Amino acid sequence: MSSSPALTLPAETTWSRFANFWSDFRQSPVAIAALIVVVVVVLMAILAPFVAPQDPYNQEALDLFDARLEPGETGSGGYVHWLGTDAAGRDIFSAILYGLRTSLIVGVMAGTLALVLGTTVGLIAAYYGGRVEALIMRVIDLQLSLPAILLALVLVALLGQGLMQLVAALVAAQYAYFARTTHGAASAERRKDYIEAALSTPLPARHVLFRHLLPNALPPLIVVATVQVANSIALEATLSFLGLGLPITQPSLGSLISNGFQFLLSGRYWISIYPGIALMLTVVAINLVGDQVRSVLNPRNSR
Amino acid sequence: MKQNFKLGGSLVAALVLGTVLSGGVSAQTLTMGLRAGPDSIDPHWSTLGSQAEALRHIFDTVVMSDENLGLKPGLATSWKPIDETTWEFKIREGVKFHDGSELTAEDVKFSIDRIPVVTGPMSMTIYTKQVAETKVADKYTLHVKTKAPAPTLPNDFIRLFVVSKNVGMEARNEQFNSGKAAIGTGPYKFVSWEPKGDLVLERNDNYWGGKQPWQKVVRKEIPSDPARMAAMKSGQVDLVNYVPATDYAAMQKDKSVDTFVADSVYFLNLTPNVKETLPKKVKVDGKEIDANPLRDPKVREAMDLAIDRKTLVRVVLEGLGRPANQLMPASFFGGNKNLPERPYDLAKAKQLLADAGYPKGFEIDFHCTNNRLPGDAAVCEALSQMWARAGLKVNANALNGTVFFPAQQKGEFSLWMSGWGTLTGEASYTYGSLVHTADPQVGLGAFNKQGYSNPEVDKLLQEGARTMDDTKRRALFEKVTEISMNDRALIPTVQIQTVWAAKKGMLTIPARVDQETLAYEIKPKS
Amino acid sequence: MIGFLIQRVLQALMVVIAMSIIVFLGVYAIGNPIDVMIDPASDQALRAALIQRYGFDRPLIEQYFIFMNNMLHGDLGESFIYRLPVLNLILSRLPATLELALTAMMIATCLGIPLGLWAGYKPESLSAKAIMGFSVLGFSVPSFWVGLLLIMVFAVELGWLPSGGRGPTTEVLGMNLSITSLEGWSHILLPALNLALFKLGLLIRLTRAGTVEVMSSDYVRFARAQGLSEGKVVGLHVLKNISIPIVTVFGLELGSTLAFAVVTETVFNWPGMGKLIIDSITVLDRPVMVAYLILVVFLFVMINLVVDLIYGQLDPRIRVKAAS
Repeated sequence: MSSSPALTLPAETTWSRFANFWSDFRQSPVAIAALIVVVVVVLMAILAPFVAPQDPYNQEALDLFDARLEPGETGSGGYVHWLGTDAAGRDIFSAILYGLRTSLIVGVMAGTLALVLGTTVGLIAAYYGGRVEALIMRVIDLQLSLPAILLALVLVALLGQGLMQLVAALVAAQYAYFARTTHGAASAERRKDYIEAALSTPLPARHVLFRHLLPNALPPLIVVATVQVANSIALEATLSFLGLGLPITQPSLGSLISNGFQFLLSGRYWISIYPGIALMLTVVAINLVGDQVRSVLNPRNSR
Repeated sequence: MKQNFKLGGSLVAALVLGTVLSGGVSAQTLTMGLRAGPDSIDPHWSTLGSQAEALRHIFDTVVMSDENLGLKPGLATSWKPIDETTWEFKIREGVKFHDGSELTAEDVKFSIDRIPVVTGPMSMTIYTKQVAETKVADKYTLHVKTKAPAPTLPNDFIRLFVVSKNVGMEARNEQFNSGKAAIGTGPYKFVSWEPKGDLVLERNDNYWGGKQPWQKVVRKEIPSDPARMAAMKSGQVDLVNYVPATDYAAMQKDKSVDTFVADSVYFLNLTPNVKETLPKKVKVDGKEIDANPLRDPKVREAMDLAIDRKTLVRVVLEGLGRPANQLMPASFFGGNKNLPERPYDLAKAKQLLADAGYPKGFEIDFHCTNNRLPGDAAVCEALSQMWARAGLKVNANALNGTVFFPAQQKGEFSLWMSGWGTLTGEASYTYGSLVHTADPQVGLGAFNKQGYSNPEVDKLLQEGARTMDDTKRRALFEKVTEISMNDRALIPTVQIQTVWAAKKGMLTIPARVDQETLAYEIKPKS
Repeated sequence: MIGFLIQRVLQALMVVIAMSIIVFLGVYAIGNPIDVMIDPASDQALRAALIQRYGFDRPLIEQYFIFMNNMLHGDLGESFIYRLPVLNLILSRLPATLELALTAMMIATCLGIPLGLWAGYKPESLSAKAIMGFSVLGFSVPSFWVGLLLIMVFAVELGWLPSGGRGPTTEVLGMNLSITSLEGWSHILLPALNLALFKLGLLIRLTRAGTVEVMSSDYVRFARAQGLSEGKVVGLHVLKNISIPIVTVFGLELGSTLAFAVVTETVFNWPGMGKLIIDSITVLDRPVMVAYLILVVFLFVMINLVVDLIYGQLDPRIRVKAAS
């Protein structure tokens, strides 16, 4: 093993590391395509109020007489519903954009909170060591042995329906992955001589934690984070499908699919299929990007 | 075997078809794909609708009901009041239980006595709570003493299943589920069942009501709508109930299925909370106000006028419903045939809101169920859309029953919509629970969570509960219906219609208002 | 060894206690289970009587201790809805879920390992890339969505397979299994395939990664130099070397397959444990919820224990390999 890159960390190295990373990343055309999809999806979600022909949350903008129009038909709003409408007269294209918004908010929020919580817990364990570490990691291991979906299922069932409840359940179900990753990387670093040396100096603990332990855990954390955001989105959709997620009046991709499922067999495929395709594209693209990030950051490949 | 039709070659199909045809109607198996099933084979365990529906095949009730919930003789051939607080039931002679023993008045008495001992959280005692004492007058005569005059007792006894006294007081769900205690007098005998699984039945050749067309009946429980429709389309089942509106529209073009539509006893009703303060205050211009606008009759009328019931039926329910003007069909006992249809008048609604002091409307939370009745969530969303047209911002929340009912019970809702079915076919069941002042002393108004209280309605309901004379009682309840509907204690929206589908040309299914799918009423088409 | 076992049992107990507290608190927060179960026509007196009968009027802590006390005596309670001992209720569903999970694992293994081997053996080929693309799809597309598509294509459009439910069962070793008949297989195929997809994606990737690593190692080069045929190189060395991590993952994944069956069972109306828990959640049947979780935790701990023990056996060999 070479000495840690985190030991000396001037600004230019950070930049050059990123440049290196990028030149490695773009080797794969699939990953580039996936990245473009992710960027487009995120942009569409952010710009939904400007891009979407209709605000699907605004009951006044909906018209029951536009209900269940087929893709390509023109509704009372005077514009073409390219992906059709649902049973409440909601434009599916708009619903997908706003649904993406909800799904991404849930995914990113749950991912970020889980990242913060998990990283903190993992760092604390690695930093203090001893009994604290043993206790924390025991709990984490136990939780990891339970599948996230089960935990999320129970929590959502118990916390009730709503965005915050859903996020809370997802965070609780996923933070352990971050904790485990951070702990792994940080505790490997912790044992190195220079940290021991730093700890014996009167430098504040914060310094060691954030300057040395955290940066080392970053690359694997980035990888875990991409995977977990994708997982959160998929998990949210699954919970909504099981009837435990968000209500139809607050459509996420999952609740759109679930709501449209009842129409699937009667020939009105568009109400469920298009949100499904959007969900699939999003999750697969995020995973593909994560995949490439992983293989670029993998020390074996970069050498 | 059925599904080999599609899997196998045409030769196999022809052979199978040949056997079915040559075997004649009597050799057939009827496979039903139904939305819900029993929680136990003990008919006294639960009042769950699908429990009664399933167990009617094995056990008979003292009184039976026709397609429109009119009373007809069951195990009792006749009944009459012999004084103010005593009903006499004549028990049918010559009826045999599945184990060969004969039915007597003792078995009926045993069944009534057994209910409080064994019943579960969906307590069957609601059907026997009026009973003070039962006496066997002779082998085929039962006298039922009631605590007070009980004109509706025969209606309650539609759900009084009779089990053989031979099963003993000790038998519980396990003994019934295993079949050991599942001994009834019904048209079919119990073969096997497990929770949420198939209920398998075979013909009772000694049934007192005549020979049944089906040798074997399989009652499959398929709760998910799409899964049930898929089972129908792939030929796994002969018939399904609760066809969703969207599939009904598609099935009408489908040449391989027949559909049967029925009015149901289920109505979707809005309930405005008229208590002093609302659990969550309404907002005007984004600011919370202390007053509860729903207390003002003008506001309730405005909300009513803003509902376009015809569009709800035609668009949201895709034709499967009727505009409602009261909480149960007008034809039921105590329903009011003179009430006018509820008009849709947006301009007047806006005017009324302005008169009431809300020219710019207000913002209010609105809760409803999303998995209890066909179309409940869709109607919910459509209503909030219609009110938006009148200038009200109504935040619709469609919730799972698990979340909805406890919160409703705790009084957490300002405005809500839920379904209600008048399962006994008469008014006191519905209006006594929903519009009488909540009063544990008289045991009425248990589901009046909106705080509606009208002394006149209370008086009429209590008087009706004691009046044995049918004509007088009917008049009292008609008055209750009229007053409470004009007060908008609840605002009825639509009556749900439900649909069965069956393989083309195979079956006739009677359209029952209680939605029950009963194998012994389903006949093969000849 | 004994110490290790005791530690594991203690861990399991901790999880069970934590889970039961969460469920108790949660159900308490939602509201009174009676309000979900009660008949709308009941009056106030009946409601009060029922609440008392089921002990919902007692302080939560007391309800909890009564439950724990019963559990320590081996009684997990009775379902509110069915009044059957919950343990029997859940165990009666176990064969269906096990059958489904094992069939899914089998499909994943039989397809995943050969595909992964191929993708790792010829990593640059187009087919390998296609396989890898498929594997990404496998573990990122939500399984309920795939399930819906499978039903739509194979059951409704083509009409080849049933859309859901379980075939007729026969009793084998005291368990009711459906895979003993052809009709049973026609029912299990779609749900098992659906459940297998995630594992399939995972296994392909694992096998490929292992294969790539082993193929570039010195001793494969050595074996080739010795003139061993390619078939033997792959068959003997590669497969042998990648089998250990795969077996480990297989064991761990069995647990999550059981849990994921919740989704598949709902989509395909498969009468297993997962469907039972979803149904119980919708009616707040607390005893079933608690017992299910306890049972699943127990199952997990057991699986992990077995995997750990096997891993312990394999460990020295792995260390030797790593050193070579």
